[in-house]
Amino acid sequence: MEVQKVRLRIYGMTCDDCAATISKSLKGEDGVLEVKVSLEDGLGEVAFNPERVKPADILKNKIFAKPSHYKATIDDQ
Amino acid sequence: MENDTERFDLIILGRGAAAFSAAIKASELSSGGMKIAMVGVGPLGGTCVNVGCVPSKYLLEAANAVFRPRHPKVPGIEPASVKFDFSELMKNLRSYVSHARDTKYVRVLENYGNVKLFTGLGRFIGKKTVMVSDSEGNRKVVLSASNILIATGSRPSVPNIEGLKECGFQTSDTIWGLEKLPKSVAIIGGGAIGLELGQALLYFGSDVTIIEALDSLLPQTEPEIGKSLRLHLENEGMKFMLKSRVGSVRAEEGMKFLDVVSPHGKEVLEVEEIIVATGRVPNTEYLDLNMAGVKTDQRGLIITSRNMKTSASGIYAAGDCVSKSMFLETLAAREGVVAVSNMFGEDIEIDYNSSTWAVFTNPQVAGVGMTENEFASQNGSCSFRIFSLENLTKASIMGETDGLIKITVDPKTNRIAGMHIMSPNATDIITEGAYAVRENYTIDDVVATSHIFPSISEGIKLAAQSFIRDITKMACCVE
Ligand SMILES: Cc1cc2nc3c(=O)[nH]c(=O)nc-3n(C[C@H](O)[C@H](O)[C@H](O)COP(=O)(O)OP(=O)(O)OC[C@H]3O[C@@H](n4cnc5c(N)ncnc54)[C@H](O)[C@@H]3O)c2cc1C
Repeated sequence: MEVQKVRLRIYGMTCDDCAATISKSLKGEDGVLEVKVSLEDGLGEVAFNPERVKPADILKNKIFAKPSHYKATIDDQ
Repeated sequence: MENDTERFDLIILGRGAAAFSAAIKASELSSGGMKIAMVGVGPLGGTCVNVGCVPSKYLLEAANAVFRPRHPKVPGIEPASVKFDFSELMKNLRSYVSHARDTKYVRVLENYGNVKLFTGLGRFIGKKTVMVSDSEGNRKVVLSASNILIATGSRPSVPNIEGLKECGFQTSDTIWGLEKLPKSVAIIGGGAIGLELGQALLYFGSDVTIIEALDSLLPQTEPEIGKSLRLHLENEGMKFMLKSRVGSVRAEEGMKFLDVVSPHGKEVLEVEEIIVATGRVPNTEYLDLNMAGVKTDQRGLIITSRNMKTSASGIYAAGDCVSKSMFLETLAAREGVVAVSNMFGEDIEIDYNSSTWAVFTNPQVAGVGMTENEFASQNGSCSFRIFSLENLTKASIMGETDGLIKITVDPKTNRIAGMHIMSPNATDIITEGAYAVRENYTIDDVVATSHIFPSISEGIKLAAQSFIRDITKMACCVE
């Protein structure tokens, strides 16, 4: 299995707790191996097992679903 | 990538209805955090507010205000002449457009500090990189983003008719600048735009002839409605040349002469003004879509999935530049929302089937879902009823009984598959059809729902009831 990485542009974070909450929730996603969330840059870096999870599934993590005010898009720049 | 590239989270190409709805939705979803570049030329708001829905509906309202007192429907009321100043009226139309643009677009954008406007045309120079240039093609700035929405809309198409350019003509882009009412007008194209403009000018007093290549009007609707509308407009004085084509045009002594090939042979039509309303073409050729891997259809319209995703990852399209069959402000706005929501990982689709469309003639025409023919060709059989406004109390009180309501149902389930209406206020009451098609209502659901008596909307209930009984033998209080 080759580990893949995706960068997320994360919106709605205001403090370190936000970053920690998002990080924790993403880590709970099946197939997600490592998560780094930066409050300062509004970015998240997620390492994942492509056989178990796709970037589109990561965007659907419950932390980004209503009524949560955190939202994310894929950042591939 | 060049050093002077400005990075954004989202680039929106265009600044019309699709672009604005997308920018607002993206700002809401990101709590104002998304850095958005909005690129475009021309006045903010694009077609709808500047040269489309808004001025055309204003003109029709004004025309109705002139026409109605001259043609009272109640016996005992004498026709009254209405004085009007066409040039003043057009001046007010333009000032209303500018007010609407200001309140609905210019000032709205001031609330979104995360949206940066770039004036110029955008063109792909890489998969996620766009160059903004001035009208001469000179580079102004280069932008890049992970997500790009193409919402560049469309413009009037002008057929290649000998002498037309030299002779001069109006389109829906230019007509709003008219100062003087033309005494006679030839409108090339009998679609929604041609019919709306034609009826407005007719009501003001122009002599109007519509030249249409097909043998009927509004092919998207039921043939009974196309025919009924033509008869109504003919009774009002509009002339039609169906199955006809303009071969060439020339100008002489202030008049324009159209050589028309019709089923009756060659005819020459002499008019003061020509309006070209032969459809629209997408603004996609400048975009260099190949650079981004975005595919188009034969007409240059961008092919998307129902999620508004194009063939290139991270690039979406919305509005009149998308390959589809209905081109409406409402759809453009909805597609913008669908595209942006999907950028945020949602999985929503545009629902064309329950989208309503309309023509704002008098009487109005509106529709939703499938026609009888569409349903029958997809499913082998269908069941439908046509309810004439002759049988509707409200319509006969109003003296406006030209029109009908046609409902098509799936004979296996009685679910409503389509509703097409020609009636006063059809554009308002069609929403009932939209709910019915979207929520799979049966004709029994419609019959069991309260409708005001007497009203035009009661016609929908009667049309539904006509599936179960002969409504000509029905008292008006039967449920
Ligand atoms: C006369 C008329 C009457 C109408 N009446 C109705 C009605 O009653 N109801 C209804 O629902 N619909 C109506 N419509 C249709 C409606 O106006 C359109 O469906 C809608 O405005 C399309 O919006 P859009 O955002 O896709 O495109 P537009 O509003 O056309 O916006 C496109 C934008 O893209 C920009 N652009 C073009 N090329 C580029 C480029 N290369 N780079 C960047 N920007 C670019 C343009 O400057 C413009 O700002 C009418 C249309 C007309 C013409």
